[in-house]
Amino acid sequence: MLRTITMQIIRITFCIVLLCAQSLHAQSTQTSDPAFATGPHIEVGLVSEFKQLSIGENWLGVLLKPDPEWHTYWRNPGDSGEPPVVNWTLPEGVNAGKIEWPLPEAIRVAHLVNYGYNGDVLLMVPINIESAFFANNKSLEIQVDLSWLVCKEDCIPGWATLKKQIALGESPEKSEYHSLFEKTRERLPSKQLLSAKHEFTEQHIIVAITPPAKGDWQLFPFDSATIQHNAEQESVENEDGLSLVLKKSDYFAPASELHKSGIQFLLSNGKQGFYLTSELNSGAENSTSKPLIIVMLMAFAGGLILNLMPCVLPVLSIKALSLQNTQQPIMTKLAYAVGVILSFNLFAVLIIALKFSGDAVGWGFHMQSPWVIAVLSYLFVYIALTLFDIAPAGEKLAGLGQGFIKGDGFTSQFATGVLAVIVASPCTAPFMAAALGVALVSEPIITIVLFTSLALGFALPMTLLFWLPKLTRKIPKPGPWMVTFRQFFAFPMLGTVIWLVWVYQSQLGSLAQLLLLTGLLIFSLAIWLLSKVVKTIPVTLSLALLVAAIAIPIFDQNQQSAGVSQTNNTGAGQTFSKGKLAELKAGNNVVFVNMTADWCITCKVNEQVALNSSELDNVLSKSDVHYLVGDWTNKNQEILDYLQIYQRAGVPLYVVYSGESGYQVLPQILTTEIVINAIEKALGEIQNEI
Amino acid sequence: MKFKTLFIALFCMLSVFATHAKIEVDKPAPDFSLVNEKGETVTLSDHKGKYVILEWTNHLCPYVQKHYGSDNMQKLQEEYTGQDVVWLSVISSAPGKQGYVTAEESMALTEEREASPTHVLFDPEGDVGKMYSAKTTPHMYIIDPQGMLRYAGAIDSIKSANPADIARADNYVDLGMISLMAGQQVDKKLTAPYGCSIKYKS
Repeated sequence: MLRTITMQIIRITFCIVLLCAQSLHAQSTQTSDPAFATGPHIEVGLVSEFKQLSIGENWLGVLLKPDPEWHTYWRNPGDSGEPPVVNWTLPEGVNAGKIEWPLPEAIRVAHLVNYGYNGDVLLMVPINIESAFFANNKSLEIQVDLSWLVCKEDCIPGWATLKKQIALGESPEKSEYHSLFEKTRERLPSKQLLSAKHEFTEQHIIVAITPPAKGDWQLFPFDSATIQHNAEQESVENEDGLSLVLKKSDYFAPASELHKSGIQFLLSNGKQGFYLTSELNSGAENSTSKPLIIVMLMAFAGGLILNLMPCVLPVLSIKALSLQNTQQPIMTKLAYAVGVILSFNLFAVLIIALKFSGDAVGWGFHMQSPWVIAVLSYLFVYIALTLFDIAPAGEKLAGLGQGFIKGDGFTSQFATGVLAVIVASPCTAPFMAAALGVALVSEPIITIVLFTSLALGFALPMTLLFWLPKLTRKIPKPGPWMVTFRQFFAFPMLGTVIWLVWVYQSQLGSLAQLLLLTGLLIFSLAIWLLSKVVKTIPVTLSLALLVAAIAIPIFDQNQQSAGVSQTNNTGAGQTFSKGKLAELKAGNNVVFVNMTADWCITCKVNEQVALNSSELDNVLSKSDVHYLVGDWTNKNQEILDYLQIYQRAGVPLYVVYSGESGYQVLPQILTTEIVINAIEKALGEIQNEI
Repeated sequence: MKFKTLFIALFCMLSVFATHAKIEVDKPAPDFSLVNEKGETVTLSDHKGKYVILEWTNHLCPYVQKHYGSDNMQKLQEEYTGQDVVWLSVISSAPGKQGYVTAEESMALTEEREASPTHVLFDPEGDVGKMYSAKTTPHMYIIDPQGMLRYAGAIDSIKSANPADIARADNYVDLGMISLMAGQQVDKKLTAPYGCSIKYKS
């Protein structure tokens, strides 16, 4: 019954409100002082810091005094509620500024969060009096139309018009509210404005800030549709400061003007506060985040280590061992380095050109082409045969064979350099990937600089050998043992052939592989014939065989190039796709991404040594852990895009995600422990988030 | 039959936990079953083929009163239920909290306010409210005949408890329905709701 009457009263009130806007303040009752009013559960008033106002800035305030346990709201009320609204009626020559909002509290109501003030709050507003007004008037009549919402759990809106007459004077006296203004100033955010950078993920806004002090900092957005107010703000400390991970609001509109010009926040630890405008952290700035000199050093180190990779080491060792003559002109000593640098730069130019033509390229991109694989197989077989001393003995052809590796002249040194780069091209060394990643997303000039650094690192060990007789003398004297040694090194070369042929098979299928192997066999036969019989009829036969050997796989490629088969050597993993990754991340899963290719030896080694473990299988089979494998054996734009996010130009790349909240990029040489530790760390992170 | 209801209710509860309470416009609206003021179980998917409007309400909330006191909500209900649209008023207030009503009280309220929802549904546990990420009263949703969620958010464009603002505001539910019924996309599909917080159990 009572409820019915209440409803009736409210309905009547609203009808009156609709009919006559002036009766808006019907809800509040005016007290004897027109500067004060009371509404249900709240008392409001218009107060001044000083009894008189003078020229320039004066401080007035709207005082909200709710009942105990009732609260009013900050400029962004949070999940519900409404901020107080103040409208000033002032004579000409007097202007009101904006409300200085004291630091709000996060007020929890069930599972929702509001931003506001428990207890009394003074909303200070600067009132500016122009000198002309001051000169012509003795007092100022101020009127404020105020609306508010006061809530405990239930909410009651209210409206009131407050009026105050204040005298003007040169030397104002403190009013009884002076100390309240002083106390409120301590609760205001600092005048110092901060800046920040933010990034978006599908579900989060990550704001990187440099807080002025350590503490439990929280961000309060100005707009209610920016973040989910009730979500825990996870803070991650890093060397540059603090990153706060905020959950995006369901109503978040990234395209809105509000977010284009930067997101405005209040940063508060409850005692201190700072306003900050966060701007979008664009990817372009990211890629130059490492100083160029560091990347150059990385490229240089990568080049040095590349000398030790299995595809390069045999060729260079043989070369080093066969060094006999150190009394050579400077140009000859430098020929190898020149060959290396030129070849690497040729590579760089090729990559730049392909990039400009819109092609998707990265380091090792040439390995995606079966043609290159086939050519490299022939080359490695040829090197192996040479190491076995089965090489054409003819004058012209000898230049090709012996000269490459054994000769001492400028051309042969230069050729060794070129050859070294060619055989090195399927390999990647540690540090190289990161440096090349930067190189491939940078401007052409930087690409060239970095490739040159890589080349210098790669050429250094051999050039030192040519240059310093002391070092050369340390190398054992040539002798019959050399033959054994050289022949032994033919086997890693043949091993490389096995791998190349296997990659070829995964690109074009088993028939193509058969044809390539047949081609290689006939090729070997031809070379052998050439080495045995010189200047007789078999030369023609051998050459015919050579042509046939090379023609067979070519014929086959023409037949099959349309039907490139995708291999799936992923084991327990699912095939990578951008959509699937996003979906799993959004579902707050731990995701282990493995970017691999059949032609990537490091990848294959990791897969066998680190990833092929029952312990790891147990971890991967947990319900919230997912394993995605991206196969870059053939060209794939999606994977290239992904690699570029991590500034990589090639595989392997291993990343472990903990839902949306973070990721770890694992090293290129893996152990089972590294992977398991990373996944467990990620599992810990997603559990914390829940 | 009881078992089926129980099963559906259980499924709904489970799906709350599974889906992490994320609503998405232009995605299928999550299904639910709730008891109405007559004690019958109402299931959302039973209304496939018709537009469904969901209205989270709490009769003591000033923002709800803004729209009922001015007849704004009743007019909308009348207009759309008259065009065979299903209007579901959902109360997620927990027992003992503001806005919680018994079935009798809700019928009395409907009569007294001359409201015309198709059903008033009780969600005292708050599961359906959380499933739809309903935050405030009022909080409005439009589901199309195919069961796709087409609008979620505020009732109109002016966030205030002042009924005088209704005339100046764009009514998002009305505009959304007009667009949908004309075979067009909803202009503003997702808006931040305003009003009192829903008085959830937890």
